[in-house]
Amino acid sequence: MNAKTSAKSVGTNSKTTMGNPYHNKTAQWIAYTLFFLALAAIPFNVDDDFLLNQLATYGVYGMLALSISLCWGFGGILNLGQGIAFGLGAYGMAMTMQMQTQTAENPVPPIMLNNGLDYLPFLWWPFQNTVSGLIFAVGIPTLFCAVFGRIMFKARVSGAFFAIMTLAMLSAFYTIILDQQAYTGGVNGITPPSPLQLGSFQIDPYSPAAYWTVFFALLIATVIAKLITQSSFGLVTQAIRDDAERVRFLGYSVSSYETTIYTISGLIAAVAGCLWVMVVQYVSPAQLDVGLSISMVIWAAIGGRMSLLWAIIGAFLIQGGQSYLGDAFLSTWLLILGGFFIIVVRFLPNGLASLVEAGLGMLARKPKETSFREPSGVKPVPSE
Amino acid sequence: MDFGSVLNALILGVSIASIWLIAALGLTIIYGAAGVINMAHGALIMLGAYSSYMLQHYIGVPYLLCIPASFVIVAIIGLVLERGLIQYLYDRPLDTLLATYGVSLVLVQGVRLIFGSDPKYLAVPEIFSSNISLGFANISTFRVVVIAVTALLVLALWILFYKTRFGIQVRAVMQNKEMAASFGINSSRIYMMTFALGAGLAGVAGSLFGVLNIVLPTMGDSYVVQAFLMVVAGGGTLAGTVIASGFTGELQSVFAFITNDTFARFVIFLLIVVFLRFRPQGLFAKGGVRR
Amino acid sequence: MAGLLEISHLCKSFDTIKVIDDFSLEVTEGTLCCLVGPNGAGKTTTMDLITGRIKPTSGKITFAGEDITGADEHAIARAGIGRKFQVPAVLRDLTVRENLSVAYSRQTNPFWNLCRFKVPGLEQKIDEISTLADLTHRLGEKAGILSHGETQWLEISMVLMQEPRLMLMDEPIAGMTEGEIEKTARIFKDLRKSTTLIVVEHDMGFVREIADVVTVMHMGTLLAQGSLQEIEADPRVRSVYLGEQEAA
Repeated sequence: MNAKTSAKSVGTNSKTTMGNPYHNKTAQWIAYTLFFLALAAIPFNVDDDFLLNQLATYGVYGMLALSISLCWGFGGILNLGQGIAFGLGAYGMAMTMQMQTQTAENPVPPIMLNNGLDYLPFLWWPFQNTVSGLIFAVGIPTLFCAVFGRIMFKARVSGAFFAIMTLAMLSAFYTIILDQQAYTGGVNGITPPSPLQLGSFQIDPYSPAAYWTVFFALLIATVIAKLITQSSFGLVTQAIRDDAERVRFLGYSVSSYETTIYTISGLIAAVAGCLWVMVVQYVSPAQLDVGLSISMVIWAAIGGRMSLLWAIIGAFLIQGGQSYLGDAFLSTWLLILGGFFIIVVRFLPNGLASLVEAGLGMLARKPKETSFREPSGVKPVPSE
Repeated sequence: MDFGSVLNALILGVSIASIWLIAALGLTIIYGAAGVINMAHGALIMLGAYSSYMLQHYIGVPYLLCIPASFVIVAIIGLVLERGLIQYLYDRPLDTLLATYGVSLVLVQGVRLIFGSDPKYLAVPEIFSSNISLGFANISTFRVVVIAVTALLVLALWILFYKTRFGIQVRAVMQNKEMAASFGINSSRIYMMTFALGAGLAGVAGSLFGVLNIVLPTMGDSYVVQAFLMVVAGGGTLAGTVIASGFTGELQSVFAFITNDTFARFVIFLLIVVFLRFRPQGLFAKGGVRR
Repeated sequence: MAGLLEISHLCKSFDTIKVIDDFSLEVTEGTLCCLVGPNGAGKTTTMDLITGRIKPTSGKITFAGEDITGADEHAIARAGIGRKFQVPAVLRDLTVRENLSVAYSRQTNPFWNLCRFKVPGLEQKIDEISTLADLTHRLGEKAGILSHGETQWLEISMVLMQEPRLMLMDEPIAGMTEGEIEKTARIFKDLRKSTTLIVVEHDMGFVREIADVVTVMHMGTLLAQGSLQEIEADPRVRSVYLGEQEAA
């Protein structure tokens, strides 16, 4: 299916864009394949369980950056409240994992008992069963995005205004989770005592199994997101980013498209939230902190919001750099990061990806390039 | 519930409102005049607190003088910020939002590197640390000072914007930049001045908040979102922000009286989102102008 | 024969100013109607009201027997009304080909479009329209770099891609060269065979060339309607519109 579309676009593109492999769909898919092959090689070369665990968390961050790139880069919707979907997904997973360790004799988790609640509240009921727990963990945030998005976009709230509204919503969730200690564990959050149990199989956070779970989730999310951007839907979404008003007069319900892309992005973030708890066995209101949600935007911005792949790479680079430098240099690192972010916003709106794009463009313009050489970087974009 | 505690909650509401308001004043000016969503506002508030701390701790300036001094210092910082960065981004509202967030990261981390993460304290004259009782109600003297300073600033801003030549120029630029330019108004200079003024107001807020709370590099973070909601709900006008802050302050105080403080904040956030859903232009703005 | 588009007693006020005042108009299927009138007569506002960009204060608009008064923009577009704006509005960050693809909006459901990667008939349609508009060599370019004339053509092409039953063209030849204007006239006359058009235009030469019916608006009301000869003979029109134009 894709082979056909890409073959077509190669023909049309090469005439006009001087064959920059960056805009070539086949080359893009090859770059994505190479990227994921590299990620798949990691568990075979890493013996350190802690490192593998940490790399798995990067995969989760990568998914978050991907979701932002989809919503902001392609849909033009700046969402500063992605922590809502991420956090609610994470809480859902933590509740599911917590309930897995509760027994018939001891059905009420300690956070409730410690807060003077001696029965399981209604809110927790769906999470008693693992399957329904997982469905609710992903479903509730997705439903929230669909409803909130519908309300906002129908009222034509957009741009910076929408960003502020998502921030307000995020702050609202943050405060309520912090406040309802008996239900959410308050500031301490929930720390499920044992790893996620799927049937008879236990996913130990420090095992390759956890890494592979995150890997496949990221792979599937990326492929789906990439296909979305190449579909007719993706094209209309990009048109809306360009000029929403004009697109309405072409017969498209702009609010439906905006709601859909926002909800899909939220769904990916919710799955990322579940995986995050699977990998770190912990959740707290910090996952709904304003700073984290804006960090997601920073990852995508520095990597290149218009490129799914580069948004993921942005998350890897920034979070990787942060843990590599360690807590001792955290302040310095954040200082540099802030400065770098300012420079990117001011001079490189498409992030590092635009450097790669320019580089490849220069290569392609050189005489007699063997037309199919795909170096490391590539991105998807309004290429066709 | 008895009458006294309700009255107390209402008076406390005025105090909360003044805090919301003074945090939002600078933002209102900047957003109202230039449409800039200044995410660095919290960091500027923090800088105001640290300026006061430095003046007091190293030079021994009396607290009451620290307040105007903070205004000047932070206004100068704002001026530099506007010239160095913001002026290039006026036609890209989303990018200003992000770039100013980057600025706030840099400022907060810079201060943390210099002063460390341990809290600092601002000392105030003895008379401010007492309580005043007004019949049923009881309120700390310093909160009265905050209310007074806020009222004074609102009055000064009102005079500035509605009674002076500068104010007319600002409002002209707000309405139509090109038209104002054709009347010889230098809009770039107006933006620069308003940004500096807004930053200076954040500095004043900081030197007051530094007394109400402790002085920390991250102390400003929690004010940005709240302050912004006040500005947006008020439609970006001075009167709008005053009324929005007044309402929310009272509401929060009443809700906090019925439930608790955190839950009250949750309700306020939710109410504002609902309000803006039905009135996106805020309290006092004209109908939307399209293309 | 009933009109394809029927506007009856349409009123629109902004604050207290009546911009459109009891305006009625009927457009017969298969005709080309030119809407003329001095600046501020309410021509573009009428377009806005028909396409749902603004909602009327009172009155009724029917399209193909369906009441579209106050409907959403996209619903009206789907019903079969395409519009070219006065200030050419194209998707500047997308290529010409992408602009045309988006405009080919037979399927507007977001969920359906999520699973569509190839649109049947799109390529032929793009070939056909871009040849007509002389944009074939520009298909791969970003719409933002096109010249003013080309941008006009692109937007007209987008309306054609929509295959609407009624096309609203707001000042389609503004900024075009003589040759381009002639070509536009030729194409419009050709289009009239299969669709219905309402064209807002100031250029009376162009109007003379293409119009079946001319509608004159003045101060938000219908001043006169008829063939160009009738209109030109109408003393009221002379005083209000033609006179004014000669003076200007």
